[in-house]
Amino acid sequence: MNGSLVIQQPGNSVVTDLGRFRGPRFGLPVNGALDQFSARAANILAGNADNSPLLEITALDFRMRATTDILIAVTGTPLHLTVGGRECQQWEPVSVRAGETVALRRLDGGLRAYVAVHGSVHAPVLLGSCAPDTVVGFGLRLTEGTELRTFKSVPPIRQPYFDLPLFRLGLTRPEFHSTAVVDVTDGPDVDEFGGTADLLYSTEYTVSGRSNHIGLRLGGALPERQSTAEVLSRGVPVGAIEVPSREELLVLHRGRGVTAGYPVLAVVTSRSLDVLAQARPGHKITFRKTTVPEATAKHRAALRELETLRSTVGTVFSLLGVGGPPGPPRLAPAAGS
Amino acid sequence: MPAVSTPALPPVEVFESGDAALRVVASSADREANWATVHALAEWLDAAGADGVHGAVPTYDSLLVEFDPGVTSARQVRAFVLLGLRQLEFTGAPARAPREFSVPVVYGGEYGPDLERVAEQQQLSVEEIITLHTAKSYVIRCLGAPAGSPMMDGPDFPLPVPRLKDPRLSVPAGAVSVAGRQAVIAPAAAPGGWCVIGQTPLTVLDAAAEPLVPYVPGDVLRFHRIPPEDFATYAGRKLEAAR
Repeated sequence: MNGSLVIQQPGNSVVTDLGRFRGPRFGLPVNGALDQFSARAANILAGNADNSPLLEITALDFRMRATTDILIAVTGTPLHLTVGGRECQQWEPVSVRAGETVALRRLDGGLRAYVAVHGSVHAPVLLGSCAPDTVVGFGLRLTEGTELRTFKSVPPIRQPYFDLPLFRLGLTRPEFHSTAVVDVTDGPDVDEFGGTADLLYSTEYTVSGRSNHIGLRLGGALPERQSTAEVLSRGVPVGAIEVPSREELLVLHRGRGVTAGYPVLAVVTSRSLDVLAQARPGHKITFRKTTVPEATAKHRAALRELETLRSTVGTVFSLLGVGGPPGPPRLAPAAGS
Repeated sequence: MPAVSTPALPPVEVFESGDAALRVVASSADREANWATVHALAEWLDAAGADGVHGAVPTYDSLLVEFDPGVTSARQVRAFVLLGLRQLEFTGAPARAPREFSVPVVYGGEYGPDLERVAEQQQLSVEEIITLHTAKSYVIRCLGAPAGSPMMDGPDFPLPVPRLKDPRLSVPAGAVSVAGRQAVIAPAAAPGGWCVIGQTPLTVLDAAAEPLVPYVPGDVLRFHRIPPEDFATYAGRKLEAAR
């Protein structure tokens, strides 16, 4: 049954997905959820496909009201979650009754939270993605009174079912600290920095307040380019670390301009881009060198955890009759056993 | 990294660029051959549509190939790129007739706030700058930021054009700019550090269309001067190929 989510306090929130992967070919950044693991986990916990449109809420308090009974999941930064005034858990499916308010307050461990709704929400699409693009002025930024269409209603689920310890079956929730270690591989232009490249690994950097979805700016000792030859514009990957000024290191994130003319010193791994997505101004970052095969292995290990979660959630949902007609109980190991 | 040398194509090197991208560089002294090679390879990759390969971003002498490390890997994509190069060597780069675009521009004044600065820096008159800028056809070399900007080799000015010391927080859509030895039109409003010498009233970016911009690398673009009072006459029209 169609319903809607009425935004009461938007804070800083958008509807997004995993990104516009065909965008770079046309000069558009990939954009999409900055913390990809948390976004995927939220959709999986809500019984959706990983790439379904969901809400990304950055830094500020957020409130919305549901017009029908729905099922949601909230992941990302630690925060205080209430539904109809009741305190609820993050990283678990949560029932919301028609008329109840969902409030996310005190987003303070990291920076970004994700709210997925079972059946997802309606959002306009550009090149196969609903991810906002601030440069072309595309996307759904939420304001007070915005009504987001929802597609599936789920009757309230009795809480005892969700006292099952779903997450002991595999999902390691990300940790949120004010100091973070970020894995990087050597960039294609590392040689241009000579011996100063090693400063990247011996320096503790501080996240600047001028950081955003395009890139994080980090203060600290800076590697210096040794050559002054002109660099032709070229495609730069998400995660590229550049030294464009004498003040700060620039780490490009998913909103980055697709081409640039600065040498790429190092590239943050896919897995550690999620860590940077949650870094707040003032947080400390240190970089650790890894290799592409190791980075790929870590990324795949995280995807396997999400697959385990998906199968657990699928089992529980089918027992509860969520996401389709209720079938006979399946012979699957009981959660937690 | 081993170089892959072929008789027909310039030497090409493949560099790691993190766990989700590779940089492919054509490194001969022949800039045209380098450019043609990376663009032909990008088209080949697009057409091949390999599993887990998101796409390729070709510029002047390099190509960024992006992929999903959950589905494929740097090692596999590298092998795929080398396969593409061997194919191209066999078939040659696909020939495509360039289309031509004619772009009306109001130069100077509020439309081109840096025109006089550029003239002064080049030690030419404003009229001479406009004459040089409208004198030749420009090949669109690649699509750049923001939003599919047509990156072109610049007009035949005597000197490279320095970028602004303080980049503007917002340059309007349609701004016609120069910097270094390059020229560009801004499809969408964005911050910018290039010198804005004029503005076209045509709409370049159509967010409802696919592709969003009407040109592709290899197409040819030519500027012509219109008086400020004609700006409104053209406003709202889309940039379209003349042929």
